[in-house]
Amino acid sequence: MSRKTINIPLGAQHISLLEPVRFKFECENEKIVGVDSDVGFVHRGVERACTTKFKFDAVGYVVARICGLCAITHSLAYTVAAENLLGAQVTAKAAYLRTLLLELDRIHSHMLCLSHTCENAGFEAMFMQIMGDRELVMEIQELISGNRVQFDYICIGGVNRDITAELGKKILENLTLVEKKVREYKDEFLNNWSLSLKFKGVGALSLEDAYRFNAIGPLARAAGLQTDVRNEMSYLPYKEIGFVMQMQESGDIHARNMVRLDEIQNSIEMCRNIVNGLPEGEIITKIKGKPQGETIVRYEAPRGELMYYVKGNGSAMLDRVRIKTPTFSSIPAFSEIFLGQEYADAPAILASFDPCLSCTAK
Amino acid sequence: MFTSLIKSFLNLFKKPQTLAYPANAKPKEESYRGLIEYNEAECIYCLKCEKACPPGAILFPPVDKPPSDNEKNKKSLKYEYNPWLCIYCGECVRACPKPNEALWQSAKKQSVAVAEENVNGMWDAIEARKGIFTKNSSVPKE
Repeated sequence: MSRKTINIPLGAQHISLLEPVRFKFECENEKIVGVDSDVGFVHRGVERACTTKFKFDAVGYVVARICGLCAITHSLAYTVAAENLLGAQVTAKAAYLRTLLLELDRIHSHMLCLSHTCENAGFEAMFMQIMGDRELVMEIQELISGNRVQFDYICIGGVNRDITAELGKKILENLTLVEKKVREYKDEFLNNWSLSLKFKGVGALSLEDAYRFNAIGPLARAAGLQTDVRNEMSYLPYKEIGFVMQMQESGDIHARNMVRLDEIQNSIEMCRNIVNGLPEGEIITKIKGKPQGETIVRYEAPRGELMYYVKGNGSAMLDRVRIKTPTFSSIPAFSEIFLGQEYADAPAILASFDPCLSCTAK
Repeated sequence: MFTSLIKSFLNLFKKPQTLAYPANAKPKEESYRGLIEYNEAECIYCLKCEKACPPGAILFPPVDKPPSDNEKNKKSLKYEYNPWLCIYCGECVRACPKPNEALWQSAKKQSVAVAEENVNGMWDAIEARKGIFTKNSSVPKE
């Protein structure tokens, strides 16, 4: 006699999802025994547009529009790739300012993810609280770059705007407020009884599976896999500003949340070090020429490793722009985690991955 | 549980975190990115801004009668700007040889376009004059 299973879809439109992704769960009673996923609902042809519609100096603004949350990481990764092809160097000040925006991006992206995991665990008040406090970081970004979501802050050769002394003071003030809030969240995530019921021991990924399915970002670090591009790269001054890789062991939703909270605290520390020790100098260097050759650039986006492959042929139009986004690389690991879990936990597990579908489908 | 109760009780006496918009307007900052503004008298018609603009929101199509008697305007061109296409990145201002005189970025906000204004149709006609044919643009009838 064959096993009796029920197929339950989650998505493409679902109340717990912000973005269109479809998971088809094969369930035996309440238990998930099979997973099938589809991510291609919001394909916009960005890679094609980058090689046919826009010249290489405008592509940085195009790829920033792939994702609203990690706009800085996308434009930075492309810009560094273009600078590699042009053989250009940016000033120390520009590199520090780029790192500042990158880390602010990470703080607000992680806060968004934490608020959504709370919402999907049924804790609406915490969701409102974190989203309200996230405004403090958005405000700083708006003051630095002049825009709230699409920052357009990074250009080939440096950055577009400088920060003034008053702005530096404002950044430090807001970061102190955020740090206080994050300490409160940490207490809540560690000790709140209802959150623990939904998070502790649910959706666990073992270290072996993290290796096998090539998990990246907070998902891998929560399982104890030491992977962080910030630790390996040399073109941003992470060593000087006090980067520490945040690790957990258990690999469940709780561990992922703790990794994110620890990373927010580390990022706040790094931002503070940047504002206090910002080097003197120009923010932009004039760069001439056309991209020639090919290059690969990796960056740590809030969700994991982001990879850009750019190929130029000596003209204004690029030959190829290939973008590998963190969520796309993590899908095998996602599918593995769902197996053996209760169906009722699926939305909370999904939110804890922090999936970014507009990055993935681009 | 007990601490949560106390917290929720205290929250009743706190000020709301949201802003009572539109009764209280949002504070405006000088550093916000807004519309690109242009001064024809100072322009030297080098067309650097047109080349630098990522979405192509600045165009210099040829016109029969030049907009003023600026000597630099030898080819009888006219500055056209589409604020709804503009992404306010400021690349044009950085490319301009006379920034803050001929071209600068203000903190002003563009109003929402309505159907009666026919902004798309007008811009399509400008693009057609420039020789750019997009999918939606129609060639203007003689």
